[in-house]
Amino acid sequence: MRVLNNKYFLLLLRLIVGGVFIWAAVTKIADPLAFAQDVRNYRLVGQTLSFLTAIVLPWVELIAGVCLIIGVFPRSSALLVSGLLVFFIVLVAVTMLRGIDVDCGCFGTFSRKADLWLILEDSIWLVLSLVLLFSPANDFCLLKRAPKTS
Amino acid sequence: MNFKQILKDGETWKGIIFILALSLVIGTVSNLGLIKKFLRGEFRQAFFTREEYPGLVFITLPEVEELWHNQKAVIVDSRPVSEFRRGHIPGAISVPLEEIKGGNYSPLERLSPVKPLIIYCEGGDCLTSLNLARLLHGRGFGDLRVFSGGWAEWLAAGLPVEKEDEGS
Repeated sequence: MRVLNNKYFLLLLRLIVGGVFIWAAVTKIADPLAFAQDVRNYRLVGQTLSFLTAIVLPWVELIAGVCLIIGVFPRSSALLVSGLLVFFIVLVAVTMLRGIDVDCGCFGTFSRKADLWLILEDSIWLVLSLVLLFSPANDFCLLKRAPKTS
Repeated sequence: MNFKQILKDGETWKGIIFILALSLVIGTVSNLGLIKKFLRGEFRQAFFTREEYPGLVFITLPEVEELWHNQKAVIVDSRPVSEFRRGHIPGAISVPLEEIKGGNYSPLERLSPVKPLIIYCEGGDCLTSLNLARLLHGRGFGDLRVFSGGWAEWLAAGLPVEKEDEGS
């Protein structure tokens, strides 16, 4: 699949995936307490961990998104983004199996229900971020790394 | 590069540590005010500030019992109707959160805007009482008291129970 190695296509993917993560992060950073409550509503962790998640996770999303777009540690950010998406998919699936009706908390006030559609949407983002993870991803990068000799 | 190579690459982990560490630092610095409030114990039961929801407080079983006994408050059951029918605090009004969220506001007509409202749900980890309280706050109810021990604590204390089909 030559298109998967096309540098313009990969740049577009970086802009889309990074953009979605930045958008998701900004809506949460705007209201950390609301996001903390969203995390708590999943009934997986207590008050303290929900609070810590709400303080740190949105910034992980934001910085990983920015790094992905500008090309600083692009592979690390693609791995982080993919890891987060796998976690979100498992989290929503487990929540559905437990029969808990909850807002996903994904995009702040634009949040919606944690359901099968959300799993599908996250799966699409996951496929895109995996393409970035396994691509050469060295064009249009702010920090180019030296090619490995081995 | 395959997945194994990516994981073995020191550069990958350097990047991940960089992103995580930077997030931790910025997250902490930009939320110092909230962290201070958290350490003071302000968010022990729910994530909102007193300025945001004035009049919304948490109360314990003895307080509920006292208010219920002296009929000084209206008791509101936020659980689904099916559970309410199986048993509830005597005199409680059923205001299922799921119905209100679905746009049916008619149960609210039975609530007094001047008397304190005591809102409860299953107890333990349930959050419907708090979510209903927030919603009621938005609709102009000023004195909201969430009984977080909920139905489980009321039952465990051996207090009276009323059932919908009683007497029929």
